[in-house]
Amino acid sequence: MKNTPRCYFTLCKRVIGLALCFVLPGWASGAELHVPATVEAGRTVSIPVPGSGQATFYLVGPDVVVKRGVNLGSDLQIQSSDIRTAGFYRVIVCDSSSACSSATFEVKAAQPAHLSFFLHPSRVPVSFPDSIDATAFVFDQYYNLVLTPVAVDFRITPASGASFSRQVPTRNGVAWMRMGSTPHEGAVEVTAVSGKVEEARVIQQVAAEACEVRMKAVTSGKTVTLETDPVRDCSGNAVPDGTVVSFTKIDRAGKSTVDTPIKKDVARAQFSVEGPARVSVACGVVLGNEVDVNGKL
Amino acid sequence: MPRFVKATTFAIAVSALAVAQSSAAPRTEPQPQVQLPEVHLDAIGLSPRPIEELTGTTIARHYALAWHDLALGFESDQADGLDEEFVGFARDRLMQRIDEQKQTGVHVRILDHGHHLRAVFYSMDGTAMQLADHVQLEIQTFDGNKLVDTQNSPHDYIVLMTPGADRWYVRDLQEVSAKPF
Repeated sequence: MKNTPRCYFTLCKRVIGLALCFVLPGWASGAELHVPATVEAGRTVSIPVPGSGQATFYLVGPDVVVKRGVNLGSDLQIQSSDIRTAGFYRVIVCDSSSACSSATFEVKAAQPAHLSFFLHPSRVPVSFPDSIDATAFVFDQYYNLVLTPVAVDFRITPASGASFSRQVPTRNGVAWMRMGSTPHEGAVEVTAVSGKVEEARVIQQVAAEACEVRMKAVTSGKTVTLETDPVRDCSGNAVPDGTVVSFTKIDRAGKSTVDTPIKKDVARAQFSVEGPARVSVACGVVLGNEVDVNGKL
Repeated sequence: MPRFVKATTFAIAVSALAVAQSSAAPRTEPQPQVQLPEVHLDAIGLSPRPIEELTGTTIARHYALAWHDLALGFESDQADGLDEEFVGFARDRLMQRIDEQKQTGVHVRILDHGHHLRAVFYSMDGTAMQLADHVQLEIQTFDGNKLVDTQNSPHDYIVLMTPGADRWYVRDLQEVSAKPF
């Protein structure tokens, strides 16, 4: 068979193709980079870069992009300021022949340094089960969520009565707990503590619904003056001023109601009565005593 | 009264939505159709608060929009759209990333193959929801017009979303090692 130019061309193509099979993987992947699997946020990292000559180094992370020239065969220093945010970072090194190598490492959050703490609601009636929710997000000094489980202590200090605490481990950086309000009104301080970090919030406990309402009546001519005893909830806390108490009178003239707010723990009202009358009192859903008034015609 | 659902999967499987639909604020100019990544939200067993049906749908939609805006920002080096869906640390970090992309001439193209989002925590007062996202991403890194790196791999994120006036915002977006949440 004669070696025509066409045959030489075909042979050359095969040789070149074979050569590319060996060369291309090297071009595509370059030299292997050895990076640490995980690094703590804000630490310096040193990565050995094999080879010789000049190369371009890229670092691509959650909030950072670095590009600079490096000398192959030396250690590549990644500054602590470049890896403060938790997440995955891609290291790419491209040599002068455009052969690029890449590797990925993870930056994990450092130690807890901040707590983002929510206490809900801001006001709650006393002795109410499962009424208070506390949620704490644990962050490191760079505000990365600390995903490694840590213990969060919720320390509860009521206005009166003994302090107590509940320890809850974080899950995915969050610790939460629910508790009932304590029996006494006043400010309750809840402090979330994790290691040396703490955040305090205050919740106001107010008296619950009135437990019992009792009134007494004083008549003077056709006028009857009504006054309740101090209105308290079932834990003995005074029901807040402004809470409405309803007095209802039934006499010959018919039925009439007076709604009056509690002032300094008691509620007062005055009626004119036509003949015998019956007066009742209520506060919220609580019905109080009834009083018969024998008014004169 | 909000409608609570115990075992729920929400999906934004429709890949084309008008941007105008994503915002309650009326936009005067007609908006182009955008391709949104597919987002499936699984809220089964969510605690301590159950998810409302409308909330689930809203979260899936705005998370899809957030990834659309993120990918657009990384490829175009434009951070303008990030305010629509990101707040707080997430927004600040993405802004900084895009700013550094501009400075270095590096940009990134993300080919998003869909998100499997799982709600893992919903605070009792409804002010924060934590989600775990498993997504397959193809990430191409360019220096100018030169492709210097390609990654095609699964990624896992822990996400914190908080409600705003008319939407749920991504407040924190942290990539994490794959693990069962």
